[in-house]
Amino acid sequence: MIRILTMGDLSPETLEFVSRRLYAAYGVGAELSGDADAHRNAFDDDQNAWDAAALLKETKGVKTFADDKLLFLTTDPLALPPGPMGAKGPVFGYAQYGGERAIATSAQLTGMGLDDGLAKRAAHHVGHLFDLHHCFDPRCAMYPEWAPPFAQFPEVLLCPFCREKSERRIRLAGT
Amino acid sequence: MYPNQGICRVTGVETKEIAGRSWEFVTLTREEDGATVMVPREKVAGVGLRRVASEKDIEAIFDYLAAPSDDPELDWKVRHRSHGEKMAAGGLMSTTEVLKGLHTLARLRPLPQKERELYDNARHLLIGEFAAALNIAPALAENHLDYALVPPVGMTRKGRALIPAGPVKGPPPRAASEDGEELDEGTSAAIAAIPAVPGLADLEGALGDVEATETAEDAEATEPGDAPAGDDDDSPAPAKGKAKKPAAAKAKPAARAKPAAKPKAPPAPAKAAKPAKVAKPAAKAKAAPAKKAAPAKHAGKPAAKAKPKPAAKAKPKPAAKAKKKK
Repeated sequence: MIRILTMGDLSPETLEFVSRRLYAAYGVGAELSGDADAHRNAFDDDQNAWDAAALLKETKGVKTFADDKLLFLTTDPLALPPGPMGAKGPVFGYAQYGGERAIATSAQLTGMGLDDGLAKRAAHHVGHLFDLHHCFDPRCAMYPEWAPPFAQFPEVLLCPFCREKSERRIRLAGT
Repeated sequence: MYPNQGICRVTGVETKEIAGRSWEFVTLTREEDGATVMVPREKVAGVGLRRVASEKDIEAIFDYLAAPSDDPELDWKVRHRSHGEKMAAGGLMSTTEVLKGLHTLARLRPLPQKERELYDNARHLLIGEFAAALNIAPALAENHLDYALVPPVGMTRKGRALIPAGPVKGPPPRAASEDGEELDEGTSAAIAAIPAVPGLADLEGALGDVEATETAEDAEATEPGDAPAGDDDDSPAPAKGKAKKPAAAKAKPAARAKPAAKPKAPPAPAKAAKPAKVAKPAAKAKAAPAKKAAPAKHAGKPAAKAKPKPAAKAKPKPAAKAKKKK
């Protein structure tokens, strides 16, 4: 089960759209579990955005069972600490790889509608929770989300390899 | 770092007696899932076990990833051997080379399943090592790996601007050919060069009809003896055999076929060969079975049954006459 928590004003229609797309992509039920309050310590003043890693760590979620996943949806911009490339890149979400929590934002959506864009970003980061890496198939939801093909193909689809891998991971999940 | 396994924690050295001999094993626990790996001490260096890369090594790796890529190896045998050796060696640079080589190749053509798995495996190993070496989250390591491979707009590496990835032109590549074989480079390039034609799908149906009609006309025009005997060998598919009937049906009524068959000695094999020519277009029109029936209607007469008969009769007749003469 994917439990969705919101951190911002997102319409019920948008949330329902995201839930449906997640179900279609992973075959796992997704339900709205309420709102979450972002922890103030997670705000990165330097970047004027929420530190996505800290936000996931600090924010109180809801009770989960077995292999449930928590997906936070926000409208605010996100940031991440610097990494080995040296330069800062765009951040549209973050996930604890193979873990329990992920966050996706609707900020800086270019070339996509709110519903499509948020759903695809959400599916991308939920994919990381299911051990999926980035994919080179431009149609796949696991394609790097900053690259133009991500917005070019707004359908929330997984390529056969990613689909099979996520299905295997979900099948083997603890119950 | 254990080749093909990932980051492992050394948990100790154990001595075990196997087949009457005492062996000293280095015991490792894989970080990812806690699996235990035991390596004989004298083989530690041989299997490629090594320390996690330093920050300096990783800097060099990112320089390599951000650099423009060479042309990928197109010969799958060479590629397979080279990638297998590199992965077995387990070095950081060799794993990166596999990843970058396959990434570059994936932009040109879809990867076969095995190479897709290899790509994912190489990516997984690299991300695990980056995360362990730099003490960062795997998701952040992967983001930065792809900032180098698929640079976003404005991404720089050591002051040098990287060329950002662009949108996909035309339909993205799909999974190899239908029978699972890779297309050769010429074919891939030719397919990529085909311009998109608006309304092509609508035209396909009409084109199929035209092909079927042309096929019928061809069959009429070709004399039975004109078909080369070698064509017999070119009809292996059972579908082609099916296509014979409508093609033969179109040809001519029985009365007209007889005189043509008499003077030429080996008419029967030639007739059998003729549909083989016809079979290719018929097989193309496989998707629409109704089209196969169309030529029979076109012919207007139920000649499908009539044609094989004269062929069968025609053969024995000259032979019988020859006997009588003798």
